[in-house]
Amino acid sequence: MIEKIQQEITRLKGLGATYVDTRWYPLEEQNYLLMWNGNLKTTASSRESGVGIRVLYKGAWGFSASSDLSNLSALYEKAFDNARIAAERVTFPVRLAEKDEIQAQFESPCQINPFDISLADKVEFLRTMDEKLNQEGVEQRISNLNFMRKKIVFLDSEGSQIEKLITEVFSSLQVTGRDADGDSHERKFNLGRQGESRGWESIDMNIFSENAERIVKELNQVLVADNCPKDDRSVILLPGIMYLQTHETIGHALELDRILGYELAYAGGSFVTLDDFGKLRYGSEKLTARADATLPNSPGSFGYDDDGIPAKDIILIDKGILVGAITGRQMVEEANARARKRIFQESGGANRATTFYRVPIERMTNINIDPGDDGTLDDIVADTEKGIILDGDRSWSIGSNREQFHFGEEIGWLVENGEITDVVKNPTHKGNTVKFWNSLSAVGNESTWQVKYVDNCGKGQPNQIMQLGHGVPACRFDNVRIGE
Amino acid sequence: MKERILQTLRALNAYAVEKGYEVVIFFHEEDSYLMRFANSAVSLNTNEHLIRLEATAYEGRKRATYEMITDLNQIEAMKQGIDFAAEMVHHAMPLSYDPTIPTLKADFIDENGYDAELAKLSNEERLAYFNQVSRNLETEDLKLGGIFSNGTNILAQINTKSEYAQYFKTSDSQVTAVLSHQKLKWEVIAEQSAQKKTDLDPEKLNRDLTFLIEHYQNDAPQQLPLASYDIVFGHAATAEMVRFMNWIGFNGGLMKRGYSFLTEEEIGQKILSEKITLKDDPTILETFPQKQDFMGIDRNPYPLFMDGVFQGFIWNQDDADEFGAEPTGHTVMHNSLVLEGGEQEIDSLQDLVKQPREKDILYIPYLHYMNIVNPSQGLITGSSRFGSLLLKADGSVVVPYNVRLTQSLLEIFGEKVAWLSNKTIPYNVSNSYGARNPIALIVPKFIRVNDLEISHANDSY
Ligand SMILES: [Zn+2]
Repeated sequence: MIEKIQQEITRLKGLGATYVDTRWYPLEEQNYLLMWNGNLKTTASSRESGVGIRVLYKGAWGFSASSDLSNLSALYEKAFDNARIAAERVTFPVRLAEKDEIQAQFESPCQINPFDISLADKVEFLRTMDEKLNQEGVEQRISNLNFMRKKIVFLDSEGSQIEKLITEVFSSLQVTGRDADGDSHERKFNLGRQGESRGWESIDMNIFSENAERIVKELNQVLVADNCPKDDRSVILLPGIMYLQTHETIGHALELDRILGYELAYAGGSFVTLDDFGKLRYGSEKLTARADATLPNSPGSFGYDDDGIPAKDIILIDKGILVGAITGRQMVEEANARARKRIFQESGGANRATTFYRVPIERMTNINIDPGDDGTLDDIVADTEKGIILDGDRSWSIGSNREQFHFGEEIGWLVENGEITDVVKNPTHKGNTVKFWNSLSAVGNESTWQVKYVDNCGKGQPNQIMQLGHGVPACRFDNVRIGE
Repeated sequence: MKERILQTLRALNAYAVEKGYEVVIFFHEEDSYLMRFANSAVSLNTNEHLIRLEATAYEGRKRATYEMITDLNQIEAMKQGIDFAAEMVHHAMPLSYDPTIPTLKADFIDENGYDAELAKLSNEERLAYFNQVSRNLETEDLKLGGIFSNGTNILAQINTKSEYAQYFKTSDSQVTAVLSHQKLKWEVIAEQSAQKKTDLDPEKLNRDLTFLIEHYQNDAPQQLPLASYDIVFGHAATAEMVRFMNWIGFNGGLMKRGYSFLTEEEIGQKILSEKITLKDDPTILETFPQKQDFMGIDRNPYPLFMDGVFQGFIWNQDDADEFGAEPTGHTVMHNSLVLEGGEQEIDSLQDLVKQPREKDILYIPYLHYMNIVNPSQGLITGSSRFGSLLLKADGSVVVPYNVRLTQSLLEIFGEKVAWLSNKTIPYNVSNSYGARNPIALIVPKFIRVNDLEISHANDSY
């Protein structure tokens, strides 16, 4: 197969293509189980295989994909023909940033392949969790397991050949209940990074049991709590919502294709302009954010991106100043040309496709916030006069240029004069992105830092769902509108 | 092709019967074309031809599903897939209720929604359409973006209870054209949903964009004061809100699970404005309907709200099985929602702008990134986008920066509804996350809702 692919790539080069690559997925498997109130509602497995072909011709992309490999030449011709037509409407001919020719292999850390575990064991895990969640106050209990494993072979016309084997494990527990008014409330636990590998070994019964107990307890506190007041307060975001704040208002805002207007017709743009790099005060001096695809054991670490670029650790915001973006080979060239200066030295290695039949686009790797020196969560609370601690993503809505946002959380704890007082229900916070990050007044230390996994980031047309990570500490922001 | 698909399904079904399995076999084939535009260029030109086969095996109260991407030549692999589902189901856990397997009583073939001309548009035709949409509109600062998506969708189903099969074939197209200002960062949009080739009308999109650009290029934008406004929603915004009602409103299973702002006690009560009549109407081809559901229940117009009175929940088979309800023919890929028009004579934005008015009107064509803040209260939030206008009482027009609306659907479609336009339009909300699944709603072109508060006003785009 590899030889055939190489022959086809050479053939298209002969027809005038300036670049050709192929992602061949010999196997992509998924196993998903969902238990809802003791009912195993979904027991699903899937297997896919196929190729995706990308062709650059006269500065324009063409793409085609199929699971039917019986006529590979025809698929390459289709991709070439798609590029030929696209070349009739080119405003900025696509150029690709330089890269090295690479022969490599990558395997994500996995001790026990979840696809070797029997269905009976997986069901038993969910049944045990369901039992633990079946407590007073809980009306709906949901638990799931989601395993993915994909083998990808990447070949391009610049001589690279990369083989990857990636295993993903996602799992969550959720409980909902109704308060005296009949309104629903929820509390969740999403499995994040535990240790150095993510195979079946990360389904650790102790961790899940502890968290099951905690979310049931916290749900019951919410059910009898007062509503979150409408107020301006300091908000302390725990990693369970801090990850999403980072995702939506740093991550998506700094995707270079968005900045350059490539998502304007759908997902949206970004308030960031090319002039802002090196200048814009994105946040307070306490904010250092990075796109770190080298972080061990996270869905945002995948060895090599779908341009064949090795994983990198890129600073996005350095002590509050915007310095970097989430980039791939095409966009850095276009950005530098449009800005008439070299903002980006090379590709940031963040071009990824969700599967063989989708085209790679700029995607987040691990968008992390460095831990700070404002101590533990207790230290931050003790240092807060009038605040609220927020956790658990319940609702998120962001302006089309990521300039403003509205988040709803599962639980809030009011803080008065350095002490936690009451739990409140229906907490929300909102704000303007830049103003909000500039109000960052405390960043928790390593003890507050957690890596959260995201399994459902949507972007692009046709839409692609991507997996990634966020390593974030607890953070405090001042003078934020809550309860709206 | 139809015969080959049905033959394959019958052969697979016969194989499953012979093996003593109880299996539902589901077939999905898509031939998808997408030309994507950005910065006035074709940024992506792609097509995917994919066949998915899904086998759900049952064993008493247990069930398990195996899905594969395959092609019609791989009959042995498909049989293995069925074997795999049958093997999985041994290890599943029994449900607390009896899941119903459909008993199809006759073949059901529906190809009425298929237009070969639309499905088979060429690369050249897609490009020509977009060139026509953007004629005389692009400048150094003003760039064209959008998509031209079209394709064919085939769904088919058979199961071991009988030899009968279902087969649905549709064609669909979704067009989005956006002009965005490179420096000022505003965008205006024009969209089209097509079920057949003759639905495509690039000149209309060109006219709509021309009109919006005139205002956006010439009028200085303003930050709106936080206050209550009389808002006219365009069809995209309305469709998005109706889509959320479909989710946290009248879905029986979600109601039982606590994700609805409606209750069983409210059936027969007036919940929304008397001007609101909402149906699920599979007779309308523009909604890419399924005229029979996957349980073999024939689908007819199904009232949800009549003059504001809530008519009842919809139930898919699995929820009906679990909660002891009657299935309502809603075991489908998607509903065919139709919000009926009202009496206001208005056909276009140009009409709206020209109409005399006593108060300022905020026109919101589109709500971006809507999400549910509180499902029990029907509370949603989203931001305006793509060409809002403040139509002043004195007849002048102001271009506002985007605003955020955080409101209950009960409020938006409640007593504050002033009017609905008499003209309706199909609005395509397909997003094709995994498999192609064209969805469109029929909604009034405009709805006016008085006295709605905005919760945030941008000071830039
Ligand atoms: Zn995302």
